[in-house]
Amino acid sequence: MTDGRGPALRRMLAGAAGALLFPVIAILLSFIIGAVIVLATGNNPLSAYAALLEGAVGDPFALGRTLLYTTPLIFTGLAVAVAFRVGLFNIGGEGQLYIGAVTAAWLGVSLGFLGPVAIPLVLASCIITGFLWGSIPGVLKAYFGAHEVITTIMLNYVGIYFAYFLAQHPLRQKGPIPGTETIDFASRIPTISFALGRANYGFFIAIFAAVVVYLLLWRTRRGFELRAVGLSPGAANYAGMRIGLNTILALAIGGSLAGLGGGVEVLGVYGNMDVPFVANLGFNGIGVALLGRNHPVGVILGALLFGGLSSGAQEMQFATDVPLQLANVLLAVILLLVTATKLVELIVGKRARDFAAGTHLENERGL
Amino acid sequence: MAESVAEAPVVLEMRGITKRFGPVTANDDISLVLHRGEILGLLGENGAGKSTLVKILYGLYHPDEGEIFVDGERAEIRDSKDAVERGIGMVHQHFTLIPPLTVAENIVLGAEPRRGVSLDMDEAVRATEELSERYGLNVDPRARVADLSVGVRQRVEILKALYRNVRILVLDEPTAVLTPQETEDLFAVLKELVADGLSIIFITHKLGELLGVGDEITIIRDGRVVGTVKASETNERELARLMVGREVLLRVEKEEVKTSGEVRLSAENLTVRADTGEEAVVGVSLEVRGGEVLGVAGVDGNGQTELAEALAGTRPIEGGKVYLDGEDVTRLGAAALQERGLAYVPEDRATKGLVQDFALYENNALKTYDEPPFSRFGWIFPKIMRRRAAESLRAYDVRPADPDARAGSLSGGNQQKAVLARELSGEPGVVIAAQPTRGVDVGAIEFIHRQLLEQRSEGKAILLISLELEEVRSLSDRIVVLYAGRIVGEVGPDATDEELGLLMAGRGADEKSA
Amino acid sequence: MEDFIGAIGPILQSTVRNATPLVFAALGGLFSERSGVVNIGLEGLMLISAFAGVVGAHFSGSALVGLGTALAAGLLFALIHALMCVTFEADQIISGTAINLLALGGTGFLMVVIFGSGGTSPRVNGFASVAIPLLSDIPILGKAFFDQSLLVYLMYLLVPVVFFVVFRTPFGLRLRATGEVPEAVDTAGVSVARMRYYGVALSGLLAACGGAYLSMGLLSAFTEGMTGGRGFIALASLIFGRWNPIGAAGAALLFGFAQAITYRVNEQAIPIEFIEMLPYLLTIIVLAGFGGRAIAPAAIGRPYRKE
Repeated sequence: MTDGRGPALRRMLAGAAGALLFPVIAILLSFIIGAVIVLATGNNPLSAYAALLEGAVGDPFALGRTLLYTTPLIFTGLAVAVAFRVGLFNIGGEGQLYIGAVTAAWLGVSLGFLGPVAIPLVLASCIITGFLWGSIPGVLKAYFGAHEVITTIMLNYVGIYFAYFLAQHPLRQKGPIPGTETIDFASRIPTISFALGRANYGFFIAIFAAVVVYLLLWRTRRGFELRAVGLSPGAANYAGMRIGLNTILALAIGGSLAGLGGGVEVLGVYGNMDVPFVANLGFNGIGVALLGRNHPVGVILGALLFGGLSSGAQEMQFATDVPLQLANVLLAVILLLVTATKLVELIVGKRARDFAAGTHLENERGL
Repeated sequence: MAESVAEAPVVLEMRGITKRFGPVTANDDISLVLHRGEILGLLGENGAGKSTLVKILYGLYHPDEGEIFVDGERAEIRDSKDAVERGIGMVHQHFTLIPPLTVAENIVLGAEPRRGVSLDMDEAVRATEELSERYGLNVDPRARVADLSVGVRQRVEILKALYRNVRILVLDEPTAVLTPQETEDLFAVLKELVADGLSIIFITHKLGELLGVGDEITIIRDGRVVGTVKASETNERELARLMVGREVLLRVEKEEVKTSGEVRLSAENLTVRADTGEEAVVGVSLEVRGGEVLGVAGVDGNGQTELAEALAGTRPIEGGKVYLDGEDVTRLGAAALQERGLAYVPEDRATKGLVQDFALYENNALKTYDEPPFSRFGWIFPKIMRRRAAESLRAYDVRPADPDARAGSLSGGNQQKAVLARELSGEPGVVIAAQPTRGVDVGAIEFIHRQLLEQRSEGKAILLISLELEEVRSLSDRIVVLYAGRIVGEVGPDATDEELGLLMAGRGADEKSA
Repeated sequence: MEDFIGAIGPILQSTVRNATPLVFAALGGLFSERSGVVNIGLEGLMLISAFAGVVGAHFSGSALVGLGTALAAGLLFALIHALMCVTFEADQIISGTAINLLALGGTGFLMVVIFGSGGTSPRVNGFASVAIPLLSDIPILGKAFFDQSLLVYLMYLLVPVVFFVVFRTPFGLRLRATGEVPEAVDTAGVSVARMRYYGVALSGLLAACGGAYLSMGLLSAFTEGMTGGRGFIALASLIFGRWNPIGAAGAALLFGFAQAITYRVNEQAIPIEFIEMLPYLLTIIVLAGFGGRAIAPAAIGRPYRKE
């Protein structure tokens, strides 16, 4: 009698509604706070938000810009989400992205003679270097007990400086501008269409990565192990699963996703690695993942929201006097609020706690 | 003694205490009275509502109804601070000590002696020493708590309360972690305390314990007081009947099974380390044959956990060998042991036996997710997992038998049945059951016992590790006693309490005969 | 050789200057983490205070007023972190990351609103160097240690004061206990939430001193993102110094020294990127247990929920 579709479907819907509770409250509150800030600058919040929306999806060019900004956030969001599902915080997306980016900047030039054939080779290399880089905190955790939060934070800077070293010394282009040489257009990820501006096929690579992550976690043996380890290391160990191996894999897979994201940025957007290079994509990936409840579909939605805000802010600055940095403030406030269990409880009552499962790592221990 | 206590003034009265958690009524109209210089036993099964009651007394919970009177005066106890101000102190089941700090620092925390703006450490040490000597507690104020044994830590907890001048001391399951010797020492200390005019509430689920130390015993069942008796006028059987609510069959009917004689699981000179790095199991050798239950008795914390985990392959083995059906499996690990037919019911089902946030069907496949038909070529098939789970959940009477239900949403008894469903439906050859009935309701206990004996009838080898002496005695064919990580003796199921008690206290055969 | 000895003085002076914001923030982090609240938001706390200090100094013309506004901003942001972590039981790591992003976005936003454009603020009156008579005359060391701004002397003073407060006062005992076993503190009748608010608030005030020194001591203007990872180096100092004020200050000096020599090192010999990595690498090595494990307060990162 429990085989019927009814209860399963209802459970799914209730689950989805519950999953949306924390993100929706965080987003609403942040927009309210944003409105107050806009008012304080002497502007009309409604027209500011209207301009924001216009700038995010108002025309093909705006939409293209949104997709452009969304793409790397899907990668870094997935990098956080995979690790989170295995009970680990990956704060290292920033450094992992740089490692992938510098890999692409290097191989994109040196394999440039292959033309378009270089693209998959370069991206595969980014996955590999990201994987190796990501496995470092995994090994440090599994074999030396070093907490991944601190090691990934520290490795961000190690990765960034290492990438800068490569970009500044062995790979430096001639001339006064710091950065690597530029990759041939033939070896870059092509743009989707003229109307969408600089939006490129990297977006679809990101969607594909999300699908792969979904299948990996919920349809494979490895994913079963990864999730079991994440939810209960004790039970996973009891069932004969290897905690250390899965820990390393989770962070390494996260690293490969962020690394791929860096590669897509270089091959799809910039064509080289400048010094300084893009900032905060890794950190914003944390917000994307949590907003998306660490589910691949949620990550895509979260990245679209973050990307749309950043994209729309440009139009908002143009149409009103509100500086486009407002978008960064809104993103930060969303991240600040998205795990606030007690706050959501204040708003919707005690039941909130049942839906908090994806916002905290239960087995989190001393750093 | 009993008379004089009853005449002494009442220091504490709880009247009509009711506490509900959602649909569950944890305390239902509970009243009790405590006199000066009295040790009041509070007896009840796990989950009967004892802990809730004392947490209310200590201000950690707030009652929905009822009143508390201290020294005849109505007391509103909002938090632990209020409780301490009213002279109520508590020694929790899980100690609330801070391991890296010293004994004196732990004791004065929150009520520190000062010299100017700084903490007067000399005074803290002096006060600790004085209290320690007065009640014969024998604690070094400058020692780091991390370096102390469990028994000493408990005394530090008591000192903490005494330092705050409490006159009512609540001890929550204080003997659960103690050896028999330490328990005796504790009772001696408690007698000193009541002689000095303190009053004590002593919570336990062990029947025999209160007969020796308590004045009166109040029994709680299902959140209600079912009786208060004088310790001097009762016996274990009466207490058991009150506590459980019916005559307890202290013996399970066990059919005669001829052991096959063939050794299925054995350990040779096994040494295992605890998480702390200490040797928790030292040179243990044992054999379990087909068709028999080998019981492992002992006081909690004498290496049972580590022994079970090592045999099941979830904890690394330091030295010695383990054989399963004659094969050396010492270094194979849990997964390989499962494949060879070892079932393991872990003592901690909440954090080991089940992934609480997995659905029941995922939990049911926790060990077989990587084998056909659940998995092929690296992919898994949730549909097949669901169908199989539905069958075995029904067979083991798990409620609800819904494969999609989250494991954590089930009651303790049903969770344990879900574990059994997984472990036993795989037709194992050897079963290791560690504390299989801990925290499980009476109905489920009987079900679990029946299942284990059924396995025995089918010729399986069963290793039963339990803290419940009665359980070990009624199910086992042979009993070994673990003390300080060593096997200190082997007896039959008809061994007397005294015999077992001496062994559990680490007094082996040599001393006994001497 | 002549050159080398001649360089020691300036290198030491630069070491002290670079270490000062790190020491402040690390001491701040110490209060927060000893109370059981992870503070990876030190970077953001410093950044917002550095900015607020410049705003205060710009409109008042006084560095002291600037220090006041810096302290207020640091306190405000720290209280947001405490509100999230302690009262709302949000995840401490997430909240800290959000504080960093909020400071980065907020200063960028306010730069445009207040000064009309991003980038670098107008110059303000900072804290000038004050040479201490006699002490500053000591050869080599005098100039390095005793010809500095007032904030540096405040930093000298704070290291032993923090040590005393944490290890020799009832407040310190309660603070340390809260970070280890909050349940014990609660049962002892002390409010865990209050201790954590104190801890986080102090971290905001101390990090604010570090931020103020950055924009009004080291430099005399605010530049977007000027902390440049210093908050994380402070966190590294705290861990490297094993959550002890003396150790943290020592580690901060070491990292300050590493920064000081990046300005002088021969690029051909060692690329500066490798020197800049050093604090982070050393911290990882310490965390991995090489040379004695760094053990954090036991309850760090866990929200405390009263039953």
